[in-house]
Amino acid sequence: MPEPRGSRRWPWRTLRATAFPLLLLGLFEATARRAAALGSEVLAPPSAALRALAQAALDGSLWPATGFTLGAAALGLLLGAGLGTLAGVTLGLSARASRATFLSIELLRPLPSVALLPLAMLVFGFGTGLETSLVAFGTFWPQLLLIQAAVRRVDPQLLELGRLLGLSTAQRIRKIVLPAIVPRVFTALRLGMGFALVIAVTVELAGNPHGMGYAMLLAQQSLAPAMMIGWLAWIGVIGVLLNTTMLRLQRALDRRMGVAV
Amino acid sequence: MSAPDPAAGQPAEPFLRFDRVAIRLGGKDVVSLARLDVARGEFVCIVGPSGCGKTTLLRAAAGLLRPAEGEVRRNGRLITEPSREMAMVFQDYGRALLPWRTVDGNVALALEAAGTPRTEWPGRIADALRKVGLQAHGQHFPAQLSGGMQQRAQIARCLAQRPTLMLLDEPFGALDAITRQGLQDELARLAREQGLTVLFVTHDLEEAIYLGDRVIAMRTNPGPGRPSLARAIEVPIDRPRHQLATREDPTFLRLRRELFDHIERGHA
Amino acid sequence: MKSAWPASLALLAALIALWWAASLTGWFSPAFLPTPQATAASLTEGLRGDLLQASLATIGRMLQGWLLAAVAGIALGAAIASSATLRPWVQPTLEFLRPLPASAVMPLAIALYGLSPAMVLSVVAFGALWPTLLATVHGITSVEPRLIDVARCLRLSRAAFLWKMGLPNAVPDILAGLRLSLTVALIVSTLGEMLASQDGLGLAILVASRAFRASELFACLVLLSLIGLAGHALLVLAGRWLLRGQRH
Repeated sequence: MPEPRGSRRWPWRTLRATAFPLLLLGLFEATARRAAALGSEVLAPPSAALRALAQAALDGSLWPATGFTLGAAALGLLLGAGLGTLAGVTLGLSARASRATFLSIELLRPLPSVALLPLAMLVFGFGTGLETSLVAFGTFWPQLLLIQAAVRRVDPQLLELGRLLGLSTAQRIRKIVLPAIVPRVFTALRLGMGFALVIAVTVELAGNPHGMGYAMLLAQQSLAPAMMIGWLAWIGVIGVLLNTTMLRLQRALDRRMGVAV
Repeated sequence: MSAPDPAAGQPAEPFLRFDRVAIRLGGKDVVSLARLDVARGEFVCIVGPSGCGKTTLLRAAAGLLRPAEGEVRRNGRLITEPSREMAMVFQDYGRALLPWRTVDGNVALALEAAGTPRTEWPGRIADALRKVGLQAHGQHFPAQLSGGMQQRAQIARCLAQRPTLMLLDEPFGALDAITRQGLQDELARLAREQGLTVLFVTHDLEEAIYLGDRVIAMRTNPGPGRPSLARAIEVPIDRPRHQLATREDPTFLRLRRELFDHIERGHA
Repeated sequence: MKSAWPASLALLAALIALWWAASLTGWFSPAFLPTPQATAASLTEGLRGDLLQASLATIGRMLQGWLLAAVAGIALGAAIASSATLRPWVQPTLEFLRPLPASAVMPLAIALYGLSPAMVLSVVAFGALWPTLLATVHGITSVEPRLIDVARCLRLSRAAFLWKMGLPNAVPDILAGLRLSLTVALIVSTLGEMLASQDGLGLAILVASRAFRASELFACLVLLSLIGLAGHALLVLAGRWLLRGQRH
């Protein structure tokens, strides 16, 4: 049903968007304070989490862990999305290759990265390699599929135009196909960034003793609920910041490339 | 003969009346000082170039938007929201039909909305489909039909409402010429048989003269002293009309020239 | 369109042959690259006993969590989407929550509920909720403006609009959301089994890796992949059936 008009002006819109989460935070704060008063060691109010987080930021323990996770995620994404894009373009362009690889992809794609963790641990041991390889595996498949679909969706009329203009196949790829898929590559990359962060944190939760996930796990195991929730919130903030930045970049790119915003 | 004032010379209680209607969109007057009386059973066409506000005017008649000034009344009653006595046919038929329902299902939507008893549905649906010649396609989905058939399906849904007023927004604009001609004749026949009052919007001068009892020319960029509905032309050609014969009729050609000159002169 | 099966099967066979050749060279330690035959043997043996049980446990957990998430996601999504007053308050928060990793909630859940099947199930459902919820909201709010005009002309009530236009329009989106939810459900199930030592393929993988039983580990991976494949394929088929006749 149509949206009520007139309520889109700036202060009102921000107020409305933040009212609900603030309400939830408020409820959380109240519940956690009561639990703490009753001696709970597992729940902490957001205010305490914020304090713990600020403390970690000030004393420098926040940054190495954040850096590690982001670094491993970025590296893995570069590898996984990079290869995925190449493979996606290739498969998108060649119907024969697409048909041949269909079953193999469908069998390998559903494997959760986390299921490969023990195997990867045998190969890489703890550290960056473990995380990067798993992030790469996890981001490769979505990227492959999205780019393959994007290439297939390039307007056939544009390709025909290329043929009519006498462009060679390589030229057609370079001048028509690749520019046409750039917005979708970007979207896929943005989604991939989200996956990369999730996989990295998950790998840290499941055993890799580095990064934000591990820090959060440590806090939980040492019964420091404020720090645990602080880390959880921090991971969330990072995820949202990354996504928002990518969205802005994507909009700017769309505008530059003439895609309807 | 042409009457300069579209609102003059009509019976005291018109079926549909636009009384000095102004509609503002985005701060601009898209429709200004529109005055129009439509008699019951009359077929009125509104012509004008793109952007002259004819769709906007139609939506005001449908109750889909409220005028900034003036009133639209049907049967004396102020129109503030849509009513099921009025049926609207949209140009983009593909987007006005439910793609997940068959033609039968789409026509049934009108009956569901009106709360018609289920027992009556099969009869009313078959009736509506027969009137537009789609009786063999009830089980098809819109995606399986041609453009002309989809538009007919939309008309069938409107007819199932048993409306007294029909509003059509460039309904044949997206169709090829041959299909368009066939549907023009079907619409004229239906309007006559059902005694419908029709407000038909188009940018095609010939279509407007062919179909209408009266043709109103609408101007873009109206303003003070330049009302939207600039000129009315009566079409005294007998019905039923014929695609070939009527279009070669001297009266038709004269009206066509008149309308063309009027619009070409920049809606003077 | 030519069938993909012959070429696909051929490539798969070639890859397995490559795998076999690689395992024969001795460059890769059998601790982490078993031979295809050994994997197949572990698979058949395991399916007669504990691997079957583990598979069923994982499938059960995945399906239960997914079903809970599907029902809640569609119901909540429909509620949020159909209230024009509620939506602007809630939707920004939902968009905000979209990129958050569901698995990161696991430590909190462990802290609150301990290591139990219920804890894992709740995190699975929580993680699987978002794709379906967001897809439902998107599907319902993306009804063609022209159809909204038609609804207004026909004076459809809000409930009638939701049932006759909003939800049917949302079906393709909801199906895509459900597919994503199922993927998340499988991932979080596996993670939960590993972290909380719950019966399932995740735990079986952990156990196999610690005992250096690579062929068993690979057998578990094959089973996981088949489960994911089957779930996805079933949803795709369901989607095709639901959307038969329409152009999408």
